Amino acid sequence: MGDRRRSRRLAATLTVAGLVFGTAACGSGSDSADSGGPNTLEVWTRSNPDAAATYDRVFAAFTKKTGIKIDYQPVVNFDQQLQSRASTKDLPDVMINDTALMGSYQSQGLLKPITPDTIAGHDQITDKTWSSTVGIDGKHYGIPYSRQAMTLMIRKDWLKKLGLDAPTTWQEMLRVAKAFATEDPDGDGKADTYGMVVPGSAQNGYAAWWGASYLWQGGARIIEPDGNGRYRPAMDSAAAVRTVTWLKDNLFCGAKNVVQPGALTAITANATNFQDGNAGMYLTGPYNITTFDATPGKDTYEVVAAPAGPAGSDVLADGENVYFGAKTGKAKQEQALAAFLISPEGQRIAMTSVDGHQPVVRIPVNSALDAAKVRDDSRWSVVQKAYEDTSQQFPNAPDFAPIKQDTADSLNAIFTYCGSDVASGLKELNDTLAGDLKDQDLLK
Amino acid sequence: MTATLTTPRRRGVLAKRSVLPWLFLAPGLLLALVFKFLPMGKGIWLSFFDVRPFLGDKWVGLDNYTRVLTDHRFQDAIGHTLLLGLGQSLGAILVGFLLALLLEGQARSLKIMRTAVFLPVVTATAVVGEMWRLLYYPTSDGLINHGLSFLGLGPAQFLDNPDTALWATMVMAVWMLAPYNMVIILAGLAGVDRTLYEAAAMDGVSLWQRLRYVTLPAIRPALGIVLTLAAIRGLRVFTEVYVLTGGGPAGSTEVWMTRAYTLGFTRNDIGGASAASVVLLCVTLLLTVTVNYFRKRGDVR
Repeated sequence: MGDRRRSRRLAATLTVAGLVFGTAACGSGSDSADSGGPNTLEVWTRSNPDAAATYDRVFAAFTKKTGIKIDYQPVVNFDQQLQSRASTKDLPDVMINDTALMGSYQSQGLLKPITPDTIAGHDQITDKTWSSTVGIDGKHYGIPYSRQAMTLMIRKDWLKKLGLDAPTTWQEMLRVAKAFATEDPDGDGKADTYGMVVPGSAQNGYAAWWGASYLWQGGARIIEPDGNGRYRPAMDSAAAVRTVTWLKDNLFCGAKNVVQPGALTAITANATNFQDGNAGMYLTGPYNITTFDATPGKDTYEVVAAPAGPAGSDVLADGENVYFGAKTGKAKQEQALAAFLISPEGQRIAMTSVDGHQPVVRIPVNSALDAAKVRDDSRWSVVQKAYEDTSQQFPNAPDFAPIKQDTADSLNAIFTYCGSDVASGLKELNDTLAGDLKDQDLLK
Repeated sequence: MTATLTTPRRRGVLAKRSVLPWLFLAPGLLLALVFKFLPMGKGIWLSFFDVRPFLGDKWVGLDNYTRVLTDHRFQDAIGHTLLLGLGQSLGAILVGFLLALLLEGQARSLKIMRTAVFLPVVTATAVVGEMWRLLYYPTSDGLINHGLSFLGLGPAQFLDNPDTALWATMVMAVWMLAPYNMVIILAGLAGVDRTLYEAAAMDGVSLWQRLRYVTLPAIRPALGIVLTLAAIRGLRVFTEVYVLTGGGPAGSTEVWMTRAYTLGFTRNDIGGASAASVVLLCVTLLLTVTVNYFRKRGDVR
């Protein structure tokens, strides 16, 4: 009996050992991508298959021109995948992803510093745009690739029907929103229309992403640089209290249907009321233009500059940068690719849509190009003007992810509880932000 | 001489006999090892580090644990998690039991009904969440509010009202989990000795007495399984909340796992998220052992 048990145990051990070796073999065998070649760059972008089709054209043109091959990987859950690659200490050579992630990546040591002079054509990018890739230590960590700024999408057929003009101030915007909600602009005799779309959930920081433009317009900042490479939280300022109070009182706790129902738990993916044709305004990024041209339809809406608040009409700008993975050792090829990506030729390919695929460059970073001309669509000049004249990015040097998330949590809570005290809510947020900055050793 | 001859032969047979089952188990074990046990071990390991995949992890001892346990948002999440876990587990057992009583039997119509009722279990949670977001739509376009309007009520802000969001999530979870419990309880009901019902009928008992003194004691083992499963699954709620409310509004549906997810994936604090997950694992383990202890003690008695 004992003998039998022992041999069973032995068999079990052997099986498990076999399994472990089996897996180890599998693990090492699967890592045979063709990115190993000296003249091949592994490039990642955060793209769905639709946008990836456009990148395919860009990289094909690059390979044809330079002979450098591209092993292109469109990755949807980019950051999770990047973390797992980082743990193998073998990063992709080139990555194209959001501007707001630069601080986070840099703090994790994932990026190679960049000298703008080494990138051919660097002088065709404006200083304002270059300044958005400066890291906490003063070095550049990204090459600007695509930029965008928020604009207001508004139903012009509804405006016409109600005899209204596109709003240029917050007060006008509120008046139009109320009219859209109550005066039956779609003419079906039912009260089923809403003033504006708000992705107000705290999930992934959406409330802060949407609210940032209003904060800028109200003269508020989330965090402020002190000029010595450090930051202080600024959400307890009088301007911030005034702005958030205005948003709470008028959009979330004021007249009914000024914003779409369910706004407090809406993220962009389920805030589809503008597309569905039951909301009249949406302050959002120009990437939506392609979608909205299909529904509600190109001739039903227009793109206008965001209505101005008490301190101006600044909107949130963001976009994508080209990043070089740390320690990849293919500097020459990487610089060649970056030079092509920012060249008029590379930008133009990425800005045009072939077979209905989504373009991947919104506003070109190359100052020789004009978005409206390249696309032959005058609406893009509104977006380009907003980016160039009245836009502001999230601060790019710190790791902004926790700051954005905490701001979103706080805004969402203030908007949810109509009876809450805005000043004390924002004071609490300010303390939390101070903690976030302290974690990064950036607190003044 | 005979001994030396027989021993190797016996051992050979034994070895073959003992290797064979393991070979059959191998694919399952391999999958469990690679996708369950190794990641779990790694998670426990990472919970003691400041995780920096590229720069190298830094040992921080129990820092992650103290940080998680003293974080006021994690503390808020405990209450929500307990309420949601307990509410949805007990609700699902109760509803599952009622469904099982209603749908027990061999008739074909019952089989069709049972299949229909079981469908939520095989539907992906993300899909269920999106569907319930439509059902809960806060105007009279939403199905539930449409129904309420016939009664002259609503429209109610199910998900956007911090006082009702957690309860709305609970209802969806009960809808999703109850059929699974139903199947287990149905199996239990099938094993109840029919003669007990006949005897009870002869004694002229009421419906309630029949349930209390015949049915419930007879399906004790099935209830034990259902309770154990509830203890394991109850506290790790995530998908339901994530797809329905994302933890909002104002954090009123934030549960332990959504908080851990935010920490890990939007704040890049993998160490803290691992620590939070390990804490949940320990609590779940403790809860399961407790439930099993009481179940076994009840069995003995």
